[in-house]
Amino acid sequence: MEVRVHGRGGQGGVTCAKLLAGTWAQLGKSVQAFGDYSGERSGAPVRAYLRVDDTQIVNRNKVYTPEHILVLDPALLDDSSIAGLAPGGTVVVNTPDAPEAIAARFPGYRVATVDATAIARKLGIGSRSLVIVNTTIAGAFCRAVGLPFAALEAAFSEMHVEKDLPAAQAAWDAVRVCEAQGTPRAVAAAATGAAVLPLEAHDVGPPPGLKTGSWRTSFPRYTERDAPCAHACPAGNDVIGFVQALAKEGPEAAAAIIAKTSPFASVCGRVCPGFCVQGCNRLHYDGAVNTRGLERFIGDHAPIARPDQAEGARKAVVVGGGPAGISAAYQLARAGWKVQLLDGAERPGGLLRSGIPPWRLPRDVLDREVDAVLAMGVGWRGSHRVTPEEVAAFAKENDAVILATGQVKNVDLDVPGRELNGIEQGLDFLRGTNRNLSSQMRGHVVVIGGGNTAIDCARSALRRGATKVTVVYRRGRFEMPAITEEVEEAMEEGVEFRFMRAPVALFGDDHVGGVELVVMEGGGRGAKLVATAERDWIDCDEVLLAIGQIADPAALMPATWTLRDGQAYDGETALPVFAAGDLFRGEGTVAHAIGDGARMAAIARAFVGEGEGAPHRGAHAPVRAREMRFSYFTAVKTAGQHKLEPGERVATGAEVVEGLTTAEEAERCLSCGHCTHCDTCLAYCPEGIILRADGGYAVDLTQCKGCGVCAHECPRGAIEMVTA
Amino acid sequence: MNHEPILDGMIRTEADRSEPLLRAGNTNCGGCGMSLALLMLGRAAAKHHIQMVIPACCGIVTAGPYPYSAYGAPVMAATFASAAACATGLSHTARLNGEDTRVVCFAGDGGTFDIGLATLSAAAERNEDILYICYDNEIYGNTGGQRSSATPLGASTTTTPAGKTVRKKDVLGIIAAHGAPYVATVSLAHPEDAMRKLRFALDAKGFRFLHVLAPCPTGWKSEPADGIELVRLAVRSGLYPVYEIFDGERATVNVKPDHDPEALATYFGKQGRFRRAQIDLEVVKAEIGRTWRRLGMFERGGITAAE
Amino acid sequence: MSLQLLTANHAAAIAAASAGRANRGARGFGSGVYPITPQTECIEMLSGLDIEKGSVIPVESEHSAMAVCMGFAMGGARTFTASSSNGLAYMAENVFAAGAYRLPIVMMAVNRTLGPPWNIWVDHGDTLLLRDCGWIQIYCEDNQEVHDLVIAAYRLAEDRRVLLPVMVCQDAFVLSHTLMRTEIAEQEKVDRFLPLLDLAHRLHQKPITVGGLDFPHETEVHRRQLGEAMGRVGGVWKEVQAAFQAEFGRKLPDPVMPYRLDDAEVALVSMGTTASTVRVVVDQLRERGIKAGALRITMMRPFPGEAVAAALAHVGKVGVLDRDVSPGLGGVLWAELRGATGLPMVQGYMIGLGGGDVRPEHIARVADDLLGRTAVGQPMTVEVA
Repeated sequence: MEVRVHGRGGQGGVTCAKLLAGTWAQLGKSVQAFGDYSGERSGAPVRAYLRVDDTQIVNRNKVYTPEHILVLDPALLDDSSIAGLAPGGTVVVNTPDAPEAIAARFPGYRVATVDATAIARKLGIGSRSLVIVNTTIAGAFCRAVGLPFAALEAAFSEMHVEKDLPAAQAAWDAVRVCEAQGTPRAVAAAATGAAVLPLEAHDVGPPPGLKTGSWRTSFPRYTERDAPCAHACPAGNDVIGFVQALAKEGPEAAAAIIAKTSPFASVCGRVCPGFCVQGCNRLHYDGAVNTRGLERFIGDHAPIARPDQAEGARKAVVVGGGPAGISAAYQLARAGWKVQLLDGAERPGGLLRSGIPPWRLPRDVLDREVDAVLAMGVGWRGSHRVTPEEVAAFAKENDAVILATGQVKNVDLDVPGRELNGIEQGLDFLRGTNRNLSSQMRGHVVVIGGGNTAIDCARSALRRGATKVTVVYRRGRFEMPAITEEVEEAMEEGVEFRFMRAPVALFGDDHVGGVELVVMEGGGRGAKLVATAERDWIDCDEVLLAIGQIADPAALMPATWTLRDGQAYDGETALPVFAAGDLFRGEGTVAHAIGDGARMAAIARAFVGEGEGAPHRGAHAPVRAREMRFSYFTAVKTAGQHKLEPGERVATGAEVVEGLTTAEEAERCLSCGHCTHCDTCLAYCPEGIILRADGGYAVDLTQCKGCGVCAHECPRGAIEMVTA
Repeated sequence: MNHEPILDGMIRTEADRSEPLLRAGNTNCGGCGMSLALLMLGRAAAKHHIQMVIPACCGIVTAGPYPYSAYGAPVMAATFASAAACATGLSHTARLNGEDTRVVCFAGDGGTFDIGLATLSAAAERNEDILYICYDNEIYGNTGGQRSSATPLGASTTTTPAGKTVRKKDVLGIIAAHGAPYVATVSLAHPEDAMRKLRFALDAKGFRFLHVLAPCPTGWKSEPADGIELVRLAVRSGLYPVYEIFDGERATVNVKPDHDPEALATYFGKQGRFRRAQIDLEVVKAEIGRTWRRLGMFERGGITAAE
Repeated sequence: MSLQLLTANHAAAIAAASAGRANRGARGFGSGVYPITPQTECIEMLSGLDIEKGSVIPVESEHSAMAVCMGFAMGGARTFTASSSNGLAYMAENVFAAGAYRLPIVMMAVNRTLGPPWNIWVDHGDTLLLRDCGWIQIYCEDNQEVHDLVIAAYRLAEDRRVLLPVMVCQDAFVLSHTLMRTEIAEQEKVDRFLPLLDLAHRLHQKPITVGGLDFPHETEVHRRQLGEAMGRVGGVWKEVQAAFQAEFGRKLPDPVMPYRLDDAEVALVSMGTTASTVRVVVDQLRERGIKAGALRITMMRPFPGEAVAAALAHVGKVGVLDRDVSPGLGGVLWAELRGATGLPMVQGYMIGLGGGDVRPEHIARVADDLLGRTAVGQPMTVEVA
């Protein structure tokens, strides 16, 4: 009885033959097991042989007419591997396929199949790239040819592979057999070798011509993956796209890319917390790319980019002239809609104008971008507070109504003494201040809160002449929601901070004169924030409250309307009315507002059967830092932006941060997840079979051994390995 | 300001060889570091006529069965210990005939550190006009994974199943001691430095020796995709110093390691060959310290650390 | 014509240098050399000779000396080296490789006893150890032969029908260090006699791997082809002899050299310098009325079996004088000759082992033993000390 094993170098075919020989030996048989020794390498097709007899075996030859064939890799199953198999003989194949599928290919043979690779992989036999299936499939083979499991078990024990017995058992249980049907096909005899060239006449050396592609278990595929900067941008900006465009083509091309998602390059480049910068993989190497500074550079240096505006007859009203409303109006106008923008304020801009001080966002910068949106044909009606009745009427007269009035209700402080004079809501204070910075303040100003409004209030108070400003926040410094840089700048300017303090009472005769504080504990890293018994006190002359705002969508809608997923319903009837920005989501940043405005505009368009709906952003994981190969890149420090000296800032009220003077920083972008044709894959392919083609690369899959070096070494995670 | 991987001139060359030095369809394992070293050599030698001498090693098996050749250049297969001597004959013949053929020995660590060392030493001493490249996979890979004198401390091989108990031989130091015009270690993870050295070594006259740490997924029991990363870790951790020595006296460190203990631990952790011995990394660190102190001895010869 | 007093070592060195010079119009000459007694004089002299377009490289071992020669030969140069005894044993791997590569290298081998224990004197065991390496082996009888055969060996080795390396063997001290009048071949004659070497399978620019892998079938065929090349040596040698005689006026030895064999009833077969002594004894035996003859084997590889068989066919008793021993068998020449001739009465004698000074009386003793035999016995060692 003879068996031939077909496997690949590294799969353990010879050991498999030896294990089966050991199994038969347990039954008292005389056995022989041996391999075909050659220059075999990992992955190359190899054969092993097994011979069993009742008497001493004297046959020293390889196996040419086996009773059974064991195939460890289904790719090796062909006429040459079946050659010589006795009619009715068993073919045991490692494959997830049903035995009937194989039997149909090879009539006249009994076929048994088992997915030994899946079993071995599950039980962790071998490595990620090379699963070793020999011990597993031995179990399936024994069952298929009627060998007792106990004998296999004993053989495993003798050969010290007991730990793989569960795999053999699983394969024993899982193997499926299809009995022989029909008669075997005639197989052409293998061609005999060509005449051998004499050594002394050897003057040509053709390539060996092995098709090594058949060795692999996975292959590389070039892919475009999300860069973390773009992935992180709440506005949906193609950050990597505009940075690369800036580096390669200049500000105008970059501006055109930003214009697809946002009308606010100059604004966002100043006031955004910079989610892109925080997400930048280069942060884990030599400092994040200053993408926010680059966005500002683009906005400030390129003419306003206007993407092609479609022609259309649809109409929309956008209620609320803040960033969300403007973003929605902008996207609808781009789509050819006639848009009317309404707001209670005199000028469009919402919080950008009322809440953000001009030394962070100069008004000419804001006006330029806002006016550019209006210049697209967006109608503006200011100083108009919209009523629910009007909204209902808009809904009837228009194809869409977007509500984006933001968070209009200030959260108030419910403590004794709140009624005293000298206590003002921070946003009201800022609105007044932003209109007229020159109105003077005096004495010690206490700001309650830890967000950007609190910091803006504090710094504005300084600029208006306050002698001293103290920010009181109930949590610690690193729990502050305010932008870190703004906090640092405030500290530079002399703003003082009292952390872990919450106001419990305000004191004064008529005008506030002091704040009683309770000392807090915990609050960080999931620890519960609790008040202690300890008290603290600050004397003061003014108190500004910056403890948040809330939205009040009900105030805009008729009583029967409800909001579901941002869309208004009257009873069960969906209305073409959508809520966007802080009114609906309350995520609080300009970038979020822009993204949500655009998103709701897209949903509104989809509601009338236009466009493709809101883009699915962030569905795929972005390229992570550990997937980057930083060592390929020269370390270069982040290009910082010049800031005015603290004294100068406070004295002049001028814009604190200056813009980048050149776009050089864009060249630091590592192009995460986006192939730049850097040739690293080509240079590192050990087979030399990655070639340039069609502006990218082509892999010769007939030769690719699937080692994965290209994917692993890609500096930017733009290649993935796909299981074959 | 170019922050791209600096591969310009490495492969973006008009004068690339009409075929690679190692042709596809060879029998090397996937992810073989030796394959990569050969392809780099081929690119560096784009403008040279080279003849190769390869002794017994994986590199000659991969040439394939007669009359095929996986090599895109003429190759003389040498007996195990004879590469440097066969190359001597070829090199002199080229010189006698006024040919600018560059004769390159391409040998594994067994043929270099062990059986071929005397021959290698003699060729170095005679200052033969040969470029000798040792691709060091730290094991007798062709015979199935036995220890060589290049096998590092702690590595399990079929002849040191419990892990090697003695340190690796400093073959570069030995060749440098001959006063060879140029000896250098080559990191596959630093292609720019590697290409510069290959080109310099191809152009230089006299005996040149390059040592390439060549990851061997089969012998190192590591993932094929991890090979370059392993070299990178070896360099970072200081385990594999990347340096060059001119005329046996002037040394330059080309890549400064940060001696990151995490890199060292990852290097060991990613290779199955180090699992059995569970070597104490403090011992390895002490070895690394020794190596760098010894390298520092060249300081008097004018060692300079490249930034 | 230039007659000089030379040792065989110097005769070989001068011959190698002139053969080397003769290839200056082609790819030149190269040699890797390493000293070992009693060959050292040869490579010392070679190192000092002026060889246009040639280089002699002193290396660190015999193994490398042959490797350097292989490198030169693979580059297309004419090559020469010399060795002896343990040096040859150490070189063996590359000796085999040179044969398998079909490289026409010529090596002068001084036959010396393999140690240990160390013995520097003549014994043929060292080169016979290498008889299966795919080399032509020629054993010399005097210094003139050493000189002529080194030159002629190139024409044989480099012939495209042959392409095999040649080992020119000579006896330690008896020839190597013994001064004899030797007629030196003039350079212009050597230039005419030796065609420029154009080795088709040398390494050039084409991407070939010389000496990679052979599977069993390729090896079968390559070994057969090597054997077929050996089979053509006899015919080519006749041409070489004729050309040599035409150019230099001297005769090169035949593969087998009979002496007074025509009517011989008893014959003594030997190689190297023993053959000279044997002829003296044959004459003495003839004087005693014994129909004795002798056969000198010049070419041990390819073994001239047919010629030996033809020469000895009519001889009743044959004694083979081996200056070597294969323990457990006897003399190598004896064993091979028996197989080639199939004669019933071939007695083996090991004589002059370890450099024992084989004098006529010793050979006479062998002859007496042979004459007295009615049947073949075990090969016997004849002590000559």
